[in-house]
Amino acid sequence: MNPSCKEIRKHILHISKDSGHGHVPTCFSIVEMLYATYEVMQHDPHNPSWENRDIFILSKGHGALAHYCILADFGYFDIEDVSAFGAFESNFGCHADRHKIRGIEVSTGSLGHGIGVAVGAALAFKIDKNKRRVFALVGDGESNEGSVWEAIMVAENLKLDNLTIIYDHNLSQLRGLQLHKPVDRFKGFGCDVIEVDGHNVDELKKGLKQKTDTVKVVVANAIKGFGCETLVENKYAWHRKSPSEADMRVLIKELDEKTI
Amino acid sequence: MSSQGFYPFIHTITPFITERCLEQIKLDMCYNKFGGNILSCGASFDYAWDGASHHCYTDLAVLIMLPGMEVIQPGSTKEVDILLKSQYNNGKPTYFRLSDHPHDIDVAVEFGKGVILKDSGAKLTIMTAGPLLGNVFKACQDLKVNLVYFHTIKPIDKAIISKFKETDIMVFHDAFGLYEAIAEVPNLSLSYHGLPDRFCDWYGTLEDIRKKIGLDPESIRNTIKQTSRRLD
Repeated sequence: MNPSCKEIRKHILHISKDSGHGHVPTCFSIVEMLYATYEVMQHDPHNPSWENRDIFILSKGHGALAHYCILADFGYFDIEDVSAFGAFESNFGCHADRHKIRGIEVSTGSLGHGIGVAVGAALAFKIDKNKRRVFALVGDGESNEGSVWEAIMVAENLKLDNLTIIYDHNLSQLRGLQLHKPVDRFKGFGCDVIEVDGHNVDELKKGLKQKTDTVKVVVANAIKGFGCETLVENKYAWHRKSPSEADMRVLIKELDEKTI
Repeated sequence: MSSQGFYPFIHTITPFITERCLEQIKLDMCYNKFGGNILSCGASFDYAWDGASHHCYTDLAVLIMLPGMEVIQPGSTKEVDILLKSQYNNGKPTYFRLSDHPHDIDVAVEFGKGVILKDSGAKLTIMTAGPLLGNVFKACQDLKVNLVYFHTIKPIDKAIISKFKETDIMVFHDAFGLYEAIAEVPNLSLSYHGLPDRFCDWYGTLEDIRKKIGLDPESIRNTIKQTSRRLD
């Protein structure tokens, strides 16, 4: 496991324990995807409104805690700032507010919205003949929302090759409506699709950098709770659970022992 | 399912099953007259910490405008139990706004009927609905006011409102919809005390949000006392 991603997971655990909030398994699923995206994107943590920056949108907004920890790791703010996660009058809510946090481009939380905003931003850059790019991280559970596919149809029809969708394929939909064969589905919608290991930063970066002729979908095969076997094996029980002190000892040990 | 004689129950967090799919409710349920039961959870601010995407306060106001819709905001488990059993299979589109912060006051429950909890012959009448009754009751139990409670927002009990039409009516509610329903009775002296015209994006808990917008027992009591002094 990438050492930075391991540290970020520890921050997620500590903040979730202290605050009593957080979707920990979801956050653990997307750490490498977020990390790789911020490595590939053009952005300036010291100037979040830099006019030439690329745009990232966390469409699956309930992964906000992971996003905050990534932004802190890249220098947008101190990780200590995130300790008020979910608290009254904190800037750091359980879903992010673009008016309150440096580096958050779009407030999300209701699933199936962020990707539509991403398509709009990508189209705007095309109209402006601007080289800026848009990246949107979409969950597989989120993709039960019809609006995800409406947005993809528009993006493909407009050949928005400046739009990259990262699809968190962690099989969380097994609880309900599972979308089988996502690679084939996205191809069927006309997208250029790249399938990668969602926990391999190098593979993700390679996929994110690959040039395509139309909207690109990076299908990132991931494991909900990746990094701690306890979370992986009990991902539904842990969906909104925060760790106790006793849980922390187990989870940190599992994380430290994780080598892949 | 409803078109084939079933009584479907649909359930998720409030905004996702009311605001997001409003046109489906309007056309597929109300216009087609296909009945069914929409049961939301989370009410206005049960998910305070999740921010504005998980808050909802327009659901009641919007749904009462749809022809044929029944709109219910039970405030306790007893109210849920009785109203659900009485309404679920009547072939109408019915909305139940549920919350995991119920009040603990035992009130009479009959669909479409408001409940007079206090009739002090006062010049001031307080009206409320749903779980907020807990705070409102605590705020005014020893004040010389009348108190009327609703668990059915549509059809609203116009007869019970009319009994107090000569008094000043203060509506305390943490959503839109109750005030608008009461205002269907003409010529009332009516005021609304609840939501501001802004997103309540402070995170925290339900209690935090209620206090911030003046709907904790102390704030409600102060607001009532100020109005009482003006009337006296």
